[in-house]
Amino acid sequence: MALALQAQHTFEPEDFELRRTIVKFAVLKKTEPAEAETAELASFEEAMLPHLDAAHNLARWLTRNEQDAQDVVQEAYLRAFRSFAGFRGSNGRAWLLTIVRNTSYTLLKKNRAVDLTTTFDEKIHTVGRESVSPATILQHAEDTELIRNAMEELPAEFREILSLRHQESLSYNEIGDILKIPIGTVMSRLARARGKLKEYLAARISQEK
Amino acid sequence: MNCQEITDLMDGYLDGELDALTSQKIEQHLRDCCTCEEAFEGHTALAHAITQRAPYYKATSELRQRVRSSLREATGANAVDGGARASRAPISRPTAEPRWVVFERPWNWLALAAAIVLGAIIGASFLPRLQQSGSGQFLATQLIASHVRSLMATHLTDVASSDQHTVKPWLDTKLDFAAPVVDLSSEGFPLIGGRLDYLDNRPVAALVYGRRKHFINLFVWPAASDEAKVPKTITREGYQLLHWADSDFNYWVVSDVNLNDLQLFKQQFETRTARH
Repeated sequence: MALALQAQHTFEPEDFELRRTIVKFAVLKKTEPAEAETAELASFEEAMLPHLDAAHNLARWLTRNEQDAQDVVQEAYLRAFRSFAGFRGSNGRAWLLTIVRNTSYTLLKKNRAVDLTTTFDEKIHTVGRESVSPATILQHAEDTELIRNAMEELPAEFREILSLRHQESLSYNEIGDILKIPIGTVMSRLARARGKLKEYLAARISQEK
Repeated sequence: MNCQEITDLMDGYLDGELDALTSQKIEQHLRDCCTCEEAFEGHTALAHAITQRAPYYKATSELRQRVRSSLREATGANAVDGGARASRAPISRPTAEPRWVVFERPWNWLALAAAIVLGAIIGASFLPRLQQSGSGQFLATQLIASHVRSLMATHLTDVASSDQHTVKPWLDTKLDFAAPVVDLSSEGFPLIGGRLDYLDNRPVAALVYGRRKHFINLFVWPAASDEAKVPKTITREGYQLLHWADSDFNYWVVSDVNLNDLQLFKQQFETRTARH
């Protein structure tokens, strides 16, 4: 635009009205995209910033690291903003969480390829599993630290589905949309995640004994 | 149902995701079978423990600030380099911008002539877009004003009826086009009535819908063929505006309900009109 402006100044038209018009819209053009973007940003923030906690919580559970979680959230919001114009749905939270999840996986794949499969050592944890009854597990259900540690040990696909269901209270339908899996799979994966968590809790309790 | 089937469906039952009939069968089974009942209690307790005890990591205010400023940076950079969003890449372009060199050279007449032609081309291509944007802003102001007036004066509707077969013929006789009218009560947007309005230098149909205790004005008029069909949203003075167009009509929705509700409204409206 600077090029065109320079040209207009060196041009000496006889019609002064015409010249004034040209200069005027050249200046307007400079401010117009900024205003449009500001308006777009305002409507994006209004729709998406309320879900910042949900975004951070999911990123935190997936990355298991505060610094990574913050990086993911920042990157996810930028990605979301870039594709916000194409967002038609009515469920902003699920849409944003899909992006947060994809961003988290990009980071996990890059940093620690091993994380995508379970890093859990079955040998250590299966010791004494049989000796812990469900009742004992329930007695320890109040232990926040125990639950957090056991949940963090789960593979990423179990961590995310437990967080989406129990912390965001999302429906199977919404979870299926975010994870790109059918509803039947949501139910069976949740069942496996809960089963595995129970197992890990039992292992930890028997270790403590 | 046997115990294995119950075990398979237990998570769905626990989460309240099963249909009523299946849930009832499971309930019955749990009353009769101690083993399953016990397993279900354990399951419920575990689910409860996760909900209650697993830490929920809220975002810190620093993160909020960081996200907001990075978004601002992204838009600010865009405004300068004309919408190319490459500016977020951490590595800056290694070569100097060649266009600045132009101004350091002495002017020659050929270059000047080329610049004038280029200037004229750029000017000509931006002028219509600018006018469009200017009129878009003006239209938004008109739309909000019309929405507010309809709520202030006792002139929300000319024809108050939740029956689309009353509202539509009334509007048809007053306008030179047949606006689509559908009642969306079952979707949570009951039709309240219709009214004539004047916008964008022409008479338009205004349909009034309710959303909980709020009102939604839907303005409809025939679409000009060269108009942009991309939906857009504007937020201003606490009002949400949502615009879309199909092959026949321009639609503008104005309300103080949130944007999600308006998006839902649009979706329902489109589904219903497509069926008619």
